[in-house]
Amino acid sequence: MLLELKNIFKWVSSGGQRVFLLKDINLQIAEGEFISIMGPSGSGKSTLLNVIGMLDGFDEGEYDFLHESVHTLKEKHRAILYKEYIGFVFQAYHLIDELTVYENLEMPLLYKKLKSSERKSMVADMLDRFNIVGKKDLFPPQLSGGQQQLVGVARALIGSPKLILADEPTGNLNSKQGEEIMEIFKQLNEEDGVTIIQVTHSEKNAAYGSRIINLLDGRKIEG
Amino acid sequence: MKIAMRNLVKNSTFTLLNVLGLSVAFGVAILLGMAAFSELSHNQFHKDADTIYQVYMTNQSPNGPGIGTAKPIPFAPALKSEVPGIANITRALSEDVLVTFEDKEFNFDAEFVDDDFFSIFTFPVVKGDAQKPLQHKNAVAITEGSAKVLFGSTDAIGKTISIHIGGTETPYTISSILKNTPDQSSIDFGIIIPFENHPEYLEKVDAWGSSNHPVYLQLEKGISVAQFEQSTVDFTKLHYSGSIESVIRDGALPDANGQYKQLHLLPYTDVYFTSFVDGVAKVSRAFPYMILGIGFLILFIACANFINMSIASSEKRLKEIGMRKTLGAVRGQLFTQFWFESLFVFLASVLLGVVLSTLLLDRFKTLFNTQVTFSDVTTPTILIGFAISVICITLIAGGYPALLLSKLGTLQALKGKMVSKGRNKVRNALIVIQFGIAIVLISSTLVLQGQLQYMRNIDLGYNKEQVISIPLNGKMNSYRMVELLRNELQSDPNILSVTGADNNLGRGLDGSAYTSVLGFDYKERGVSTNMLVVDHDYLKTLDIELVSGRGFNRDFKSDSLSLVINETMAKELNEPDPLSVRINMDSINYAVVGVVKDYNFQGLNQKIKPITFFMNKDWDLYYAYVKVAPIAISESFETIKMAWQKIDPNATFQGSFLDENLDRTFRREKVMAQIITSGSIVGIVLSCIGLFAISLLVVAQRTKEIGIRKVVGASVTTITVLLTKDFLKLVGIAFIVATPISWLIMRDWLQDYAFHVSLNIWFFVGAGLLACLIALLTIGGRTVRAASANPVKSLRTE
Repeated sequence: MLLELKNIFKWVSSGGQRVFLLKDINLQIAEGEFISIMGPSGSGKSTLLNVIGMLDGFDEGEYDFLHESVHTLKEKHRAILYKEYIGFVFQAYHLIDELTVYENLEMPLLYKKLKSSERKSMVADMLDRFNIVGKKDLFPPQLSGGQQQLVGVARALIGSPKLILADEPTGNLNSKQGEEIMEIFKQLNEEDGVTIIQVTHSEKNAAYGSRIINLLDGRKIEG
Repeated sequence: MKIAMRNLVKNSTFTLLNVLGLSVAFGVAILLGMAAFSELSHNQFHKDADTIYQVYMTNQSPNGPGIGTAKPIPFAPALKSEVPGIANITRALSEDVLVTFEDKEFNFDAEFVDDDFFSIFTFPVVKGDAQKPLQHKNAVAITEGSAKVLFGSTDAIGKTISIHIGGTETPYTISSILKNTPDQSSIDFGIIIPFENHPEYLEKVDAWGSSNHPVYLQLEKGISVAQFEQSTVDFTKLHYSGSIESVIRDGALPDANGQYKQLHLLPYTDVYFTSFVDGVAKVSRAFPYMILGIGFLILFIACANFINMSIASSEKRLKEIGMRKTLGAVRGQLFTQFWFESLFVFLASVLLGVVLSTLLLDRFKTLFNTQVTFSDVTTPTILIGFAISVICITLIAGGYPALLLSKLGTLQALKGKMVSKGRNKVRNALIVIQFGIAIVLISSTLVLQGQLQYMRNIDLGYNKEQVISIPLNGKMNSYRMVELLRNELQSDPNILSVTGADNNLGRGLDGSAYTSVLGFDYKERGVSTNMLVVDHDYLKTLDIELVSGRGFNRDFKSDSLSLVINETMAKELNEPDPLSVRINMDSINYAVVGVVKDYNFQGLNQKIKPITFFMNKDWDLYYAYVKVAPIAISESFETIKMAWQKIDPNATFQGSFLDENLDRTFRREKVMAQIITSGSIVGIVLSCIGLFAISLLVVAQRTKEIGIRKVVGASVTTITVLLTKDFLKLVGIAFIVATPISWLIMRDWLQDYAFHVSLNIWFFVGAGLLACLIALLTIGGRTVRAASANPVKSLRTE
């Protein structure tokens, strides 16, 4: 078991009333799964993803990640867990425009305090694997959307995480580019055993996954 | 216009920061400018100020060239009659006199002058004959202030007062009333007396060897200074032949023109700024220009803030610019619009600044000890200059961002993205300069304060904490006064000893300071020494250490022929046993009986010079010294004051402790320290306002980046370091640039002091660290907050 959510609630108070973002979410995810979270806008998909990714807290419930109860962990410890095991891919790529592709890829490693030589070889591997060696000295705005997302995925993978969280990774891409990215995800999932959770609107992309979770108004709909 | 206002209101934080910073800067700059201009306007009020000269003489001596401004009594009349080209010439001897009117005694600063005095200088006559204020030999002119003191009104023409000069009292008639001397006048007096009435006049009317007053003159039209100086060569050779011969004998070298003594003219407007160092008249207006410079630096810092803030905050307005451009606005229109906004801010700031400076004027005057008033500086030239500089500053500081914004391409602007890196360079350069200025100011502050502290704490070689000096300004014979004081205070256990001397240490409440130098021949060699006439117990009272021999002693009847010298004097005499030295002066044989350790009897800007103590009851004492026990000091002071008033009720008591006297001699340094300290505080505060605003904007611009970095695993600390690093780098560069500059300035300044602190690297490191610390505090809070923000929020942009 990679992670388990038990009775997760998350709300914001507005005018004395609780507006629930997540309501009683129970979820078990095993290693090697490929899960798609679907639902209409505002149903809490991204919130759920952020909670799983430990970027956001929750108000009630329990969250175990690799048998550690995340809700009781200290901030610092949580950050270590997160740095070690989780990679993020965003719809808007979120690369740093002022840094080259190479530097963008290297950034997570800097925060892991790895040696310079190790970093170099890991970045080189990654560039190789995604066939973007020739672009390593370009800046993100000089790349196409598909290429940028490729860099985004590469950046998420560089720390060799167990879990990749993708928030509408193909949302800003054309269908061909989107397919490429999804193929990469599939390959990662099948060949490297990386667990993937993606949020998506598209049925087609969802079909790549092994399991689909439907959300509506913060609630999980069995189906 | 309306849009400009609206925009300013919308960005109220920045508008407020800008207006605040700029108006403080304008206010401070106005005050400093006023102080500087009032300083520069010294002696400019005379109608013909540019044609007035002071005569001085360069003297070649075996020890190098020297300069004398004091002239002997026969000098001025002889010069006028023997050298052609002089239109007006006057002697002006300044001395304190005691004036009695209906049994009341007053001390006045008197100026003994010739008739030409009033043709040369502009001291307007209020009542009496404007052409000839001194009607006859026994007529005097007094100022309105003195008249009020004497009679309670200015209705004083024809009244008779008696003036106590050199032991005799003479009646004088007041023949005219003058306006009070302006603060910007080097010649300052309460009463003007015809020169012939000076007590030494008759005795020394033909004595070329004794000099005691400056001489001022105006040349006839068409005569140049160089011509005149050349034509005095023979005059000098004739009248100074004796002393020229003796310096040639002692091995002095002639000057570049082969002369041993040469008369020169110093423009009167330079007199206030002149110091005579090593035989060169050095005119330095560095002090007022420094004040002016600080004003400009502060203004620059504020303007740099303005430029940086306008550019940085314009990022938000890129869309507006793009829209306007697509709707057909041309560059000129955009420029005008932005420039109008700047203009608003600047006008508001200038107005606020003027208001601020008016409000702070009184505090400024007391703080910096200046008498500056608005009327001093509201001359047309200065006002026009001020207006022009305001317009220029607005044009540059307001125009630059406007130009930059209006230049942007339409599409580029619409996209809301500024790619050009050049602007950041301008911003960084401005920040570097700002902090550089701040660091220069801070380190100067530290060095100045260090020097002041050093001067206060240095061991001067005499006891300055326990000794009170009292100017002997009464009618009574000075020796008798000291003796009475001694008897009166004898019974008090807290009064340790009483003595007298003819000169003060430091600057007393009477405000006078002078040096008397004596020259004589010793073993075929000219020797010069400062001289001091002392009473018994001088060494004991002042705790001056005796190196060998003895001090003056009541048991030795012949002590009026004994001398006590200091170590430097002993060195000057160059004898293995200074106590064996016999000196012949004016055909009297003196014997050296004691040598005292060197002590700083002059200012700390001078090396310790030779000094010789005399003990001669025929020469008056001018100051009494009383040493008190270290306990109950203020009570002892009161005791002395009571004793004084009991002995001579008519004389004013002006006693003060020597450390206070010493402090008074630091007036200039203190004013300077205060101006620079305040300047650096204002400077650093303004720089920080700018840095704060910039950090706000930079953090705002980089929110997304911060979010991304956090998502890929950066901690709060690493992000804070990342953001702060950029700014600290700038402060670091500023430090590297500023340190050598301020090192040079400070080294130069300290060289004016024979005794000074050594220029330590820690002054600069301290300043740099302080600047860093302040910068860190300024940007720290914002940065940490930005770094700890939840990345989910910053990334949820779509």
